[in-house]
Amino acid sequence: MLKRIEDLVRGECPDLPSLLDGLPMGVALLDGGGRILMLNKALEALTGYSRDEVRGLPCRHVLRSRACIQGCPHGREDGPDKGIETDCINRHHRKIPVRITPVRVRDGENRPVCILDIVEDLTALREIESRLSQATGQGQIIGRSQAMQKILNLVPVIAQHDSPVLITGETGTGKDLLAESVHKASHRSREPFIRFSCGPMPSELLDAELFGRIQAAEGELKPGRFQQAHGGTLYLSEIADLPLPHQSRLVQFLDEGTVLPVGATKPVRVNARLMVSTAESPERLVREGRLREDLFHRISAIRLHLPRLKDRGEDLGFLLHHFMSQYAARFKKQITGISPRALRIVSEHDFPGNVRELRNIMEFAAMVCPGDTIRTGHLPGHLVDLAGTGPAPRPAEKARKAPRKSAEGN
Amino acid sequence: MLIAIARDEVAPRFDLTKEALLLSISESGEIVQRKSFLLADASGDELCDLALSRDVGTIVCGGIEDEYFHYLRWKRIEVIDSVMGPLERVIPRLAAGELKAGDILFDRAGESA
Repeated sequence: MLKRIEDLVRGECPDLPSLLDGLPMGVALLDGGGRILMLNKALEALTGYSRDEVRGLPCRHVLRSRACIQGCPHGREDGPDKGIETDCINRHHRKIPVRITPVRVRDGENRPVCILDIVEDLTALREIESRLSQATGQGQIIGRSQAMQKILNLVPVIAQHDSPVLITGETGTGKDLLAESVHKASHRSREPFIRFSCGPMPSELLDAELFGRIQAAEGELKPGRFQQAHGGTLYLSEIADLPLPHQSRLVQFLDEGTVLPVGATKPVRVNARLMVSTAESPERLVREGRLREDLFHRISAIRLHLPRLKDRGEDLGFLLHHFMSQYAARFKKQITGISPRALRIVSEHDFPGNVRELRNIMEFAAMVCPGDTIRTGHLPGHLVDLAGTGPAPRPAEKARKAPRKSAEGN
Repeated sequence: MLIAIARDEVAPRFDLTKEALLLSISESGEIVQRKSFLLADASGDELCDLALSRDVGTIVCGGIEDEYFHYLRWKRIEVIDSVMGPLERVIPRLAAGELKAGDILFDRAGESA
């Protein structure tokens, strides 16, 4: 059979090469041993090799993808033909983000004939993704402090597993972003990331929102958040706001992998990773009877705690400049710095709203600032007022600061 | 001379190389020293460090990213890249001074050695 494929490629049937050449994405036709039988034109352009140069060579040397080297996708004989996002290096030293989808071609008796590697160039998509993420500041959690580095180093490790994750931390510390980062680093990243806030809601509505509902008239399932997250991740924020009966249904999901939609008689199987968060101490929530103990033990298999901004040391300055650049770009301003006095006011603030509050402050300042430097007058009024109510500077300090104040033009 | 290797062939990617072979070749083309290095992690940076610390004059590798390629050239290291083939064929050609970037020394499927 393989001989027939080779004959088709070599020209017995001239339609196969022209058919593959007509496809907009790269295609490599491989034999069972992973050697190249043919590249189509799109893949010739991507790799920089012509089909004649590489015919008969091991594909790992031609595609040179990370996936080829760190865990060849062709090795998973019985696995589904699933795309892998990876990168490759072409002949011209260019690193290109790609998605490789191996398709096993079988004959009528289900015997393997050859493999088609579909290679999609993701450069344009990655650029858009990066631009959007910079513009919105969403989907990335950053930090240089030791505490944050420790957490960020754990993200790729945690992402490899499907165990539930419990994220704790005060409001505004980045729990949602951390959950999304774990999802994005996981093998579920191409599947949905569904976020649901467990705020107060009538019980029946909450049931339908979370677990879905069988429509009385059509008998069809209107998907809830669990069904929407199928294959991906379901993130429930403020888990303690979820009523106890609903919490017990989460326990059932974690034990059996099923949920019971409203109006259904049989549970429905859902493949979703569960992540939850709370701004309060989960142990205290258990003691107060607001979080079921059995649920707590199940969701705390992996537990991450995000520190307060005030406890993140150097991150305050780092994030301040990060948000300043981000909002300067968004508002199309040429802001390059912040005056020492404005910086002192921001640095001395307590930040009960943590990173979210800092972000809001810098958004306001960048919006108001007409020049290239953020000054005291560009900060939100309450921040300056709070700073004004603090301890008065010593006379020597006051004298030293006076000329600077006038130089700042405040 | 340093060859980025994976098992018994030139590693397909410089930045994902875990093993390197260091060769000292005399002017007459004789291999006078041969030493293998295992890196703690697959890393282009570590490989660059190894090459610089051992005063390597030539690196042989498969695919290499622009930044490493230009960095090594800037450090006056010759880079013979995009080489595909088993070491048993690459080394003699390298020793003879005949190895070029882009050389393909594998047997093709269906061809004899």
